[in-house]
Amino acid sequence: MPLVVAENLVKSYGKVKAVDGLSLTLDEGSVMGLIGPNGAGKTTTIKMILGLLKPDSGRVEVFGEDPWDNPKIRTLIGVVHEKAYFPSHQRTVDYLKRTCRVFGVSESRALEVLKLVDLLEARDRAIKALSAGMLQKFAIAHALINYPRLVIADEMTANLDPQARSSLLDLVLRLNKDEKVTFLLSSHILPELSRVCDSVAIINKGKVLAFGKLVGLYEKYGAGRVRISTDKPADLAGELGKLSYVEQVEFDARGVSAKIAKGKEEEFYGDVSRLAQKVKAKILGVESGSASLEELYRLVVGVNKLEVA
Amino acid sequence: MQKGKGKPFLEVLASAINEDYRFPILEIFVFLYALGTFALASFAGILSTMGTSGEAVAYSLTTSVLGTPLFVFLILVFKNLAYGFGSDIEKGVIQTYLSYPLKRHQILSAKLLSAIGLSLLILLSIQVSALYLLAPDIVANFFGTVMLTYAASLSPVLFVSGIILLATLFIRRGGLSLVFGIVLYFALSIVSSMATFMAFATKSPVPLKVISLLYPNTVLSLFYRMQFFPGMEQVWAPTFLEVALYIGASYAITAFVFAIAYIYFCRRFST
Repeated sequence: MPLVVAENLVKSYGKVKAVDGLSLTLDEGSVMGLIGPNGAGKTTTIKMILGLLKPDSGRVEVFGEDPWDNPKIRTLIGVVHEKAYFPSHQRTVDYLKRTCRVFGVSESRALEVLKLVDLLEARDRAIKALSAGMLQKFAIAHALINYPRLVIADEMTANLDPQARSSLLDLVLRLNKDEKVTFLLSSHILPELSRVCDSVAIINKGKVLAFGKLVGLYEKYGAGRVRISTDKPADLAGELGKLSYVEQVEFDARGVSAKIAKGKEEEFYGDVSRLAQKVKAKILGVESGSASLEELYRLVVGVNKLEVA
Repeated sequence: MQKGKGKPFLEVLASAINEDYRFPILEIFVFLYALGTFALASFAGILSTMGTSGEAVAYSLTTSVLGTPLFVFLILVFKNLAYGFGSDIEKGVIQTYLSYPLKRHQILSAKLLSAIGLSLLILLSIQVSALYLLAPDIVANFFGTVMLTYAASLSPVLFVSGIILLATLFIRRGGLSLVFGIVLYFALSIVSSMATFMAFATKSPVPLKVISLLYPNTVLSLFYRMQFFPGMEQVWAPTFLEVALYIGASYAITAFVFAIAYIYFCRRFST
């Protein structure tokens, strides 16, 4: 059953169309990543799903209800905003206890969630005295206080150190597995998303470019693709782009991804060796028929894409 | 997991009070109210009412005692609205409140109760108690006049508060809306004096009637013959019904400004 349904959402800020006919659904029990470049419309989409922004047109339903000014559904949702905002003069534990009373949960939950995010030692600190990372952890604790069935997080791991990020991702997996909490996570850190997400929506310029289960997307976009790890990706990509049967070439700092025509695999491997020698590039590894989330993102959004004649 | 019925409205109200009146703001303002009421009150006007009606004395005493505390009150309310509510919008605390199981109008009501309601309660508690201590007979015998005077004196402050609230919602800059509100309030006072002078000079009641819609103390002072210019009663001698109507109209205008703020916050306000 979908917990979130967004259909043809449109939202403009003046002349700028931040979201342009965006549609997606989030199924119960899944962990979905919302990814896209800066200004793609992720935060605007999340705000519309949370009922903080009213779409110019289109429809959003969360738990079957319109989220705009509908307090009932908010008892089921935990929210981590892109930047954490709380009354800054209050102590962390006091504010969390207050939030417990807001949602009608036992005040002991305040200490439980502080422990969950490893912030127990800061329970007596004023919110304004927390570091950026601690504030982020506090925001996550705050989002979990009402035993949410759905957590919507915008850049949840921002400001966290690697260890805290890892613990947090473990927590996401555990809550999803043990307590069937559904997550909608927006992030720029794709390896993190690929660790926890089972589905993604890749958006750019306010439109969904790719959406679905990760496995299916990997298969769809990975078919006919070869990833070559090399020390001279730009040079090799330039040469590979000249091959007639290579339909698409992309590169990053570590290698080249190419999409080749069906039945041309053998020929391609031969050409790769030859062209690598030509540009004096070392081949460090070759992987076929797959795409990582990072590659998937680049493929869909078109970062560093070379035009193939 | 234990989930009961939450008290989101009360908790947001408590949180707002915590922020608006955190130590030592409440203490300072209560001190200023008390100081203004007892030490800084100007009783000169009361002397001029000697020999006139008890109602005029009650009006004069109330305005005299209210003078400085009213100024303290407007500073506190404007600060709460512009800096308190404004910074909640600027910093995004409103966004956090909007994720709670509360209707938007309840969030705004909680903020306004804290920003204006509590300030008003403190002001009136100190004022009425002080008046009762200073002149128990007048308060007991002319309680209606005392309340009418408060209503007329507070109306422009509440009107400007509504404008500050609207400005804060639209421009989302607490400091700017605070400056705008203070300038507007003093502009209103100056315009009120100018209107009185114009009426005196032209012998036309129109400027007085217009300004009384926003500054009903003008019509009340005319009713009690407490105007600075002699012979003003020949320009306009309002009846009690007119006084009540003008005070009512000023509150209707103020209510309209707040209603716009509510409608905007509930239907259009985005974080």
